[in-house]
Amino acid sequence: MEIVTMKDVVFGYGDVPSLVNASLAIRQGEFVALTGPNGASKSTALKLMLGLLKPWGGTVQLTERHPEGRALEIGYVPQQIAAFNSGFPSTVEEFVLSGRYHRSGWLKKLKPEDRRKVEEGLRRVGMWDFRDRRIGELSGGQKQRVCIARTLAQEPDFFVLDEPITGMDKDSRMSFYSLMEEQVRDRGCTVLMVTHNLEEIRGRLDRIIELTKREDGGWKCCTTTSCKGHFAPAG
Amino acid sequence: MEMLHYDFMQRAFCAGGMIAILASTLGVYLMLRRQALMADMLSHVSLAGVAAGALIGFNPTLAGFITAVLGAMAVEYVRRSYKSYSEISVAIIMIGGMSIAVVLMSLDKHLTRSFSSYLFGTVVAVNGTELLLLAFVTVAGGLFFFLFRRPLYLLAFDEETARTAGVPVDRLTFAFSILTGMIVAAAMPIVGVLLVSSLIVLPAALANRLSRSFTWAIVLSIAIGLTGVFTGLTASYQLSTPPGGTIALVLLVIWLIGTGIHRGWRHFGKKKTEQAQANMQGSANAEGSWLAPEQPL
Repeated sequence: MEIVTMKDVVFGYGDVPSLVNASLAIRQGEFVALTGPNGASKSTALKLMLGLLKPWGGTVQLTERHPEGRALEIGYVPQQIAAFNSGFPSTVEEFVLSGRYHRSGWLKKLKPEDRRKVEEGLRRVGMWDFRDRRIGELSGGQKQRVCIARTLAQEPDFFVLDEPITGMDKDSRMSFYSLMEEQVRDRGCTVLMVTHNLEEIRGRLDRIIELTKREDGGWKCCTTTSCKGHFAPAG
Repeated sequence: MEMLHYDFMQRAFCAGGMIAILASTLGVYLMLRRQALMADMLSHVSLAGVAAGALIGFNPTLAGFITAVLGAMAVEYVRRSYKSYSEISVAIIMIGGMSIAVVLMSLDKHLTRSFSSYLFGTVVAVNGTELLLLAFVTVAGGLFFFLFRRPLYLLAFDEETARTAGVPVDRLTFAFSILTGMIVAAAMPIVGVLLVSSLIVLPAALANRLSRSFTWAIVLSIAIGLTGVFTGLTASYQLSTPPGGTIALVLLVIWLIGTGIHRGWRHFGKKKTEQAQANMQGSANAEGSWLAPEQPL
């Protein structure tokens, strides 16, 4: 089952098209990397898939339902999210808890389960001891971990991660890849991640989608390379 | 407490308290969305409504209220056209509001005399309509902020992640803008066009700086707003100074003292932390390791 499909999508900024006739499909249970040089419209492609941008032409279809019938939960980590307003008055725990709001309901009381998921997310990324800190006081790498903890607490079906490893050291990056691999293998999630560090992650991926330059200057999807994954994708 | 024996002072405290609660809460969200100047802009737009209302013989307070709400809707519309420069929408609508107000004022010479009451407010002369309108806005605003506190938190942090998390961003932003217009318009006849933003910006600016958590930022902002309004009203009564200006001045003094104490505290705290880190070889500030999937939590 396809989670998202783009067909002949054209999009640009101003009058200049940057993505031209881009087509791709992400299937349920895949671990996919989206790559390409700087300025290749990778973040734009993600935003188009999520409906945050409207294409000039072509079609984008994002499924609204999980195969089990419930609404599809999307965990999106935008590029540079960790560079948020350092004056934002929120504790780390409060921030990660906000990842549970959609699942728990906008008006309903939060359950012990929600608190447990927050603790789980923070412990996974090694930030539980920072739960009472103000988020603006953290370093860039720590903020990035907290943003990932929030996405984990959200328990999404579809992870959409725009350069999530920015500011992380090698050990953290490896741990992060294992974590995402676990989400695909054990929870049947779909992971789409923009990254430049292909060499580090290639062996864990199902596919790599590359944005390549066209002769007329725009970027097109997509050279799709099949990878030899370490696991059989779920679903 | 002799002043509270007077009917007009009771009404002033009642109206001031309601505005302090609403404006201080609104201020936290406006500041985090980088729209602190929106209140200033809407109060100027509201002035155009007041002038139009007076000119055509319609209740100026209600006319100002309706215009501020329309202005809030317009600013949201223009903001979507200038996504990267949202302050431009504030400037454009403010120019429109002010220019209309000035032209309308010039058409009615009697109007300009009562205009100073809108510019500087008349909290001690709050009339029944204004109090009723304020009570309605307080109930509507209180319900809005309570019921939508979670989506508003997500919206204040980041619009894009809020949207993907299922927040109806456009509708919520629209409702928020309308409520902003309502709060500004209800507060304007009482504290005045020139001072309405002091009640929205100053308590929130200090609370956002001092609070560790979002909930506390709102609680503290309300507490600062109430302290400023009640102290300002008392000082205004005792010293026979204009209430709107006195309230704004008291809030400014609270902000200055609060910011000074916070800076001193941070400086002192930083030194202590550095010393502690030196003693513990920096381990106090180090994050833990990632847990591997097979590791127990």
